[in-house]
Order: sequence, then structure tokens, then C-alpha cells
Amino acid sequence: MLSEKSLAEIARERAKYPADQARSALLAALRIAQEEQGYLSDAVMEYVADLLGIPAIQVYEVATFYSMYDLQPVGRHKLCVCGSVSCFLNGSDAILQHLSERLGVGLGETTADGLFTLQEVECLGACKDAPMLQVGDHYYGNLTPESLDALLAELRGGADDVR
Amino acid sequence: MPHIEIDGQAIEVAPGTTIMEAAESLGIYIPFFCYHPKLSVAANCRMCLVDVEKAPKPLPACATPVADGMKVATASRKAKMAQQGVLEFLLINHPLDCPICDQGGECPLQDITMGFANPHSHYTEEKRVVEDKNIGPLIATEMTRCIQCTRCVRFGQEIGGIMELGATGRGEHMAIGTYVAKAVQSELSGNMIDLCPVGALTSKPFRYKARSWELKHTPGLCPHCSTGCNTDVQSLGREVLRVLPRANQAVNEDWICDKGRYAYTGLQAEDRVTQPLLRVDGVWCEASWAEALDAALSGLEQMIARHGAGRLAGLISAQSSNEELLLFQALLRGLGSPHVDHRLRQQDFRADAAMPTYPALNMALEDLEREPVVLLCHAFPRQQQPLTNHRLRKSVLQGGKVIAIDSLRRDFNYPVTQLVADAGADLALYEALCSQLSGHAEKADAVPLAHVASDLLAADNPLILIGSALLHHPQAAAMIAQIETLAELAGGRVGWLAQEANSAGAWLSGCVPHRLPGGHTAPAPGLPADALWDADMRGFVLLGTEPGVDAMRGAAALAALQKAEFVLSITQFAGEAKQYADVILPMAAFAEGSGSFVNNEGRLQSFRAAVKMPGEARPAWKILRVLGDGLKLSGFQFNELSEVTAAWQHAIGDYALDVPPFHAFPTLEPVPEPMSADGLCRLGDWSIYQGDPLVRRAAPLAQPAVAKMHPDQAKALALRGDSVEISSHCGKISLPLVLDVRIPMGTVWVPAGYNETAALGATYATCAVTMATLPAVAASA
Ligand code: SF4
Ligand code: SF4
Ligand code: FES
Ligand code: FES
Repeated sequence: MLSEKSLAEIARERAKYPADQARSALLAALRIAQEEQGYLSDAVMEYVADLLGIPAIQVYEVATFYSMYDLQPVGRHKLCVCGSVSCFLNGSDAILQHLSERLGVGLGETTADGLFTLQEVECLGACKDAPMLQVGDHYYGNLTPESLDALLAELRGGADDVR
Repeated sequence: MPHIEIDGQAIEVAPGTTIMEAAESLGIYIPFFCYHPKLSVAANCRMCLVDVEKAPKPLPACATPVADGMKVATASRKAKMAQQGVLEFLLINHPLDCPICDQGGECPLQDITMGFANPHSHYTEEKRVVEDKNIGPLIATEMTRCIQCTRCVRFGQEIGGIMELGATGRGEHMAIGTYVAKAVQSELSGNMIDLCPVGALTSKPFRYKARSWELKHTPGLCPHCSTGCNTDVQSLGREVLRVLPRANQAVNEDWICDKGRYAYTGLQAEDRVTQPLLRVDGVWCEASWAEALDAALSGLEQMIARHGAGRLAGLISAQSSNEELLLFQALLRGLGSPHVDHRLRQQDFRADAAMPTYPALNMALEDLEREPVVLLCHAFPRQQQPLTNHRLRKSVLQGGKVIAIDSLRRDFNYPVTQLVADAGADLALYEALCSQLSGHAEKADAVPLAHVASDLLAADNPLILIGSALLHHPQAAAMIAQIETLAELAGGRVGWLAQEANSAGAWLSGCVPHRLPGGHTAPAPGLPADALWDADMRGFVLLGTEPGVDAMRGAAALAALQKAEFVLSITQFAGEAKQYADVILPMAAFAEGSGSFVNNEGRLQSFRAAVKMPGEARPAWKILRVLGDGLKLSGFQFNELSEVTAAWQHAIGDYALDVPPFHAFPTLEPVPEPMSADGLCRLGDWSIYQGDPLVRRAAPLAQPAVAKMHPDQAKALALRGDSVEISSHCGKISLPLVLDVRIPMGTVWVPAGYNETAALGATYATCAVTMATLPAVAASA
């Protein structure tokens, strides 16, 4: 189900922890699986459970806890808008609404062209730049409707920011 | 040791004691939801907040260890405010649907709210709703009611040993469930219902049947395995509505298994008999007791007059009470028949003389959880004795080691070193282990075996437990003899895992052909159960058993019963009996009768009727007494059950709790090797929910019969598709096929206890597996 390369990476993570602590390697294993597969299907999660020798439910627990794991297929760019306190007080609702209108999708949805998925996430530790969002490995802060439009244009233009 | 004070009462407790435990020992009640003495401390509900002097904030009593000089107030203003606050939060998302909730009336959330909450809530917003998932036929879910105490999750992880429920999602979206819809598998799953402090998990078969305060509680005993769990039988009018555990820390602690919990649903089976039945010219007619007893007596008398009592045999279920067992053998022996048995599943009786007085564990169940090294010999207690298994699981969690020898790899719920015999070569495996132990075999050639041998030798007096399934092997006698040698070589001691609720009682009461009550040798031993089918018996008396599915060779048993001239079946269910009986006498079923059982430890426990018998059914002991009286046998003059109990005690005497595990072995005549060169060895045992007439009829527990085979074996036989035909020298059946790597090569697993599989005959016989012939239409397509 996973490539040799991913399996080797997972094995390397697993080896970092004592024999009876397979669960410790779970976060990394799920990240590796998601990077390869794009999202975590039930089948992938069960596969990872077998790989680590832990109950499948423990994998579901972790995968559903962290917003960084995707349990559904997502678009090419994942717009993760922070909705926690600092960002909320600085207008994250308006940011979300603006994006939702521009993209024509609601929270957790993906645009028809498969380019964007809109998500709300918890505090990303960048409160000083509130309101903020994350796309791929990049943080964008002090968001305004204008800066959002510019960002969307850049991403539509093929900027590769994701994974 | 720390001195502390709770609500002004001083107490000295062991270091590490929590405030909750200290309060409990003072009899001070602190409300709680997530705390449970048998589970790890999660401290997530916060209901147990108490006011501790000098602590700035209230502390959770369940998770706070005492410190010397601590002063705790459980009902100060601060404590009360904390309790009210927590309850207000817990109720924010709780639906408050008590009128339609099965937990109502036995709900800690309801009770604690009544006792500790502020009657007003600030919350006016919407409540969240959690989607339900179907988790099988036993547990009904209503997850919107869940307060996320995680008791059910911790139960699965810590007690059940398979984690099936978990907490998925986060914050407001956290939900307890299986995530992907699937039925929970744990044989202890029903205990989660008892643990759930709200109506999120309730019993599906009991759903909407009654309110808890309407139910009558009767202390009962589980009749489904030799653990002898104590139960609380709850009934309304004439109907048993549910069975819950009755805490007994020495036996079942706070639990029962799903067999014990749900088997009662079988009481409603269609073929329950409530009226004596007579076969008149091949047609079944209802009869009065007088007519039926007349027919039974004259049937027996005529049969004996024609063929002699040596052609009469009696078979009784080991779920029968001591009283019934004693009277049953007295009836048969009084009539002059030596053929009395309860061991319908056994096929090798050569070691009968060597068997112990009764199958005794030879230790207390509680001590089992402290055993450092245990060797299980063809025992899978997870299915056969689920709560005995729980003790073994605890020993492993505390660092003990369990080793299992069996014909296939078993799905234990704790780590077990497993030695699996080659197809049919079970005896050889014991022999090989013995030669390893005696140092005769080369160490290098069989590594796992050598490891096991050195583990056993290193252990101080390891415990060797003989499983009930071992007795089902065609070479059981030789295997038992090997185990005696093995125990000597390993310097270990031996205990038996008894199969049924009253297997011990059946041996003690003399329901075996070679021993009388009290274990005395019978002067003229009769034939054991399996031999009766080929012995041209002309008359049978059956009590509580259905040999067609209860016997090792079901089809042979049916044929022998059908051929017999007279068959009297004293039974709860008529379905099978109607195929061969001449007279059917309806007897009391589970929860309808009283009596006593001896469990695996030798513990004598009694139970009494919870509900009235339906229709004309009577307690089996009364039926036996009337028969004995009618046949003018001595020793049947009883009016009350207590008199029979006294007679039992008199006949059995003070039996020992620890008995020698073996008597002297007779010379064992060789039997043919089970496996011939070609063909597969048919493995199989009674499935967990097929073991007795009642549990077989419990619809919520029903699992269809499937054959299992190693995927490589299926490939080697070019089996495709999901249905196969299995044939042995005595019959042919077809079953769905499931691939399972735990089944060794060269074997196929076919469960016993099903009508569908009875035709195949005894286990461990050679059989052939082919693809099922497709129906004509599909084949031509
Ligand atoms: S389902 Fe019941 S036992 Fe499980 S977490 Fe919810 S309230 Fe607790
Ligand atoms: S463990 Fe045995 S005695 Fe206990 S409830 Fe289950 S079947 Fe009954
Ligand atoms: S609240 Fe948005 S980054 Fe911290
Ligand atoms: S009982 Fe103490 S926190 Fe739940």
C-alpha cells in the first residue's frame, strides 16, 4: 500500500522508540503515509495500524485529533485559517468568509478545479501576525481581503507552496 | 503513614492512597463519573473536585494522592461551587432525554444531578449531536448522551484486552466510538454497558423492556462455564429481562462475559417446551403430566423387560445442578444400567481410570493472577472460560508468562508464546517437549520448543493447565499421560480447566460410567458416551442435552437415538428431541430452577429460581424424583430440594479443593494415528456461543458457522470463491470459507455445535475440501 521509500522512513521512525512503544512512531508514520497518498483513507490508517502493531482505533484517534491530517482527499493548496483566540479577535471570521466567497466553497470543502481546500485550524503559534493562515509550509500573516486576493492569484498562477 | 482529615474525620492511610479511596474507607461519598476502582485513573470528568486546604483550586479526589496533614472538605462552599460548575458543563451538551433513555432510574448522571447540581443553567445555545454507529447486536448506542468519561475505552484497553472503542475528534467534536462502523468483538463487551455512567451504551436486547425499578433481582449463577460467575438475574413477572454481574471478587470480580449476560435471550426460543409431549403413532401430542409419566415409566419398564437394563443409557448435561446429577445417576443405576455419562464431547476414554476425582483447578481463581509461568495444554480459556482467562491476562500484565500448546494459533487477548502442532501431530508435540525437558533431544533443532523447555525448567513449580478442549482429541489419553510426565520433568503442578458450569459436580455426583458419587470406583463400569452410539442401545434417558449437536459425533448420536426403541428426553427445548424421543418432559430452564454447582475451584455455590416456570414445566429434580418413585427405586423420597441437597452432601462427603490431578494410568491400548497421509486434518471445537442448548438459541449472540483455512492451503488446493464442500468418511457438508493464517497448513477448521457441521463427525479426522459445486445456472453461465 505504501512505497518502499515510505516504508523505510516509517521503519526508521519506529526504530527511535523502545520495542513496546510502537504508538510513539504513529505521528510520524501518519505524516509519511499522508505525504505519499495525499490523504489518510481508512485503508491507509488500518495499514499503518498493522505496520506498527497497534489497534486501528488508536490510529483513528490520533488522525482525527490533529487538523494537519486529512481524512478526505484535499485540493492542491490547503488554506488553513487559524480560528483561535488571537486570530479570532483580529477578524479570522471575516478572513474565512472572504475566502469562502472567493472560492465558492465552505469549510472543509474543495474547489471544483481541485486547487483549493478551505480549513479552519487551531492556533498555529503565530499570534503576533493575527489573523493568519498556513498554506503548505508557509505562514501568511496580517491578512486583509487584498492580501488574500493576491495570495490566491499567486497560487492560481502556479506558485508551488504545497507539501 | 500520612494522617489526613476529610470533612473533619481523621484517618491514617497508606502513602499513595488517593483522596477518593480515603473518603471511601471513611464512608464519605464524593460524586464521580470517570473513576472506577478497576480502571486506570483518567480524571477527565472533574466531578470529584474537592476543596483541599491550602490548595488554590479544587482538586480531583480520584487523582490526588493524600499528603500528610492534608485537610479535605467535600462539601464546603468551594467544593459545592466546583461540583455545580462541573455538572453545568457536563449537561451543556447532554440531551436530557431521560424519559426515553434506558439508563433512567439507574443513571449516575441523573442521580448526581439531583444531588449536587444547581437547578439553573446559563446555557441557552444549541447542543451538539453525535452521530450513532451500529456497534453490533449487543450494545445500543446513543452517543449524544456520552459525557466522555472514557470508562468504556479504558475497559477495552485494560480489561477486555482488545481496544475497539476510542475517542476520535477533538474538543467539541470528540466522540466515542469505533470510528468505522463495526460490531465490537470482545467477549466481555457487555461490561461496558454497566460501566457507562449515562445512557450512551445500553443493552440492545433489553432496550425499552422495563425500567430498572420495576425489576426483581435474584442472585443467580452463570451456567455457561466452569468459572461460576455470580449473576444478578433481573426479571419482570415471568420473564427474565437481563442478567448482570453480581460482584464477587473471589470469582468474577465485577464482570461477566457476553455468554453469561445474553444467553437468557434463548429462553424465548420457539421450540421451548412447556407441556409434556408424547409421540402417538408418529405424531406429537400434548399430554398431561399423569399421562406423560405413565408413558415414560411404561416405556422404560418395557424396554428393560425386553432387552435388559444393560441396553439402557443415560446422558445428562453438565449444566445440571448437583441435585439433578445425583438423582439422574441414581435413576439409571437403580434401574440396573451402568451407562451414565455427561462427557458428550469426548472421544478418547482410555485414561478414564487416571482421571482426577473431579476436574479441579487445584487453586483459587484469585491466585491464578499471580502465577509467574503457566503452560496451557490445548486450552483457549478466552472462549471457554472467559473470566478465568481474565485472571491469566492479569498475571501476564504483571509480568507473568503464559505458554500455550494447541492445534492452531489462538487469538489470545494478551501475549502468549504459542507452540502449534503439525496437522494431527498434537501428541508428538507433547512428546517432543518432554524430550526437550529431559535433555534427550538436540537443542538446536527446534528452537521455540527449546525456549519453552528452558522457560519451564527455569520456573519454580510452573502451573500446567489442561484445557477442556484437550479431552476432545482422539489421543487425549496419551496426551494426558504425556502431560503427567511433562509436569514431573518440569517440576510443575497440574490443574484442570473444567469445561462446563458443573463439570466438577458431574464427576463428584457420579455421572460418569466408571465412578459413583463421591468418586468411588464403580464395581461394573458402563460405557462412556461416545461408545454408546455404536453399542446397540435400545433405550436412552436424556436430560438437558441435545446429542445431535452436543456430542462429538453428532450424526452418529442422532442415528443411534433414532434407532432406539424408547427415548425419554427431559429438556427445555423440543427441537432436536422431536427427531428421536418418545416422551418429552418439559423441565425448568435457566433462572427457573434452584440448585447448586461446583465451579472449577471446587467452590460450592447455589442459586435459586428467579421466575416461575412457563406452562407445565417442572424442575428436573422433581421430575427425576417422581420417575424414581414411580419405578419403585429406593432413595427418591424427597419433598423439598433442601432434602436432595442434604442427600448430595451426604453422598459426596467433604470433597477436597485440591485433588491429585491424576490417578494411576492404565496401560493405554494404542489407537490409530488421527491423520492419514492424504487429506486434511479437521480441527474444530464448540464455538463460544454454541456450547449448550440455551446459548445456541440466543439470537443476539449467534455467529454463523464458517470453515477456516490458511490462505496458502486454499491456494494449494486451488480453492476459489467463498464456499467449500468438506467431506469426511462419514458425511459431507458445505460452508462459507474464511482464510485465516492462524490455521496451520494441512488442516481445516470446522466448528462443532452446529447442525450444519454435525454430519462431519469427530474432530481431528481426515477430510477433503473441494470447491462447492455451483448452482446449475451459474455453472452454465
Ligand atoms: S460511552 Fe459511556 S462509558 Fe463511554 S465515554 Fe461515553 S459516557 Fe463514558
Ligand atoms: S465466564 Fe463463564 S461463568 Fe462467567 S459469565 Fe462467562 S460463561 Fe458465565
Ligand atoms: S491564535 Fe491564530 S496563530 Fe495563535
Ligand atoms: S471521577 Fe475524578 S475526575 Fe472523574
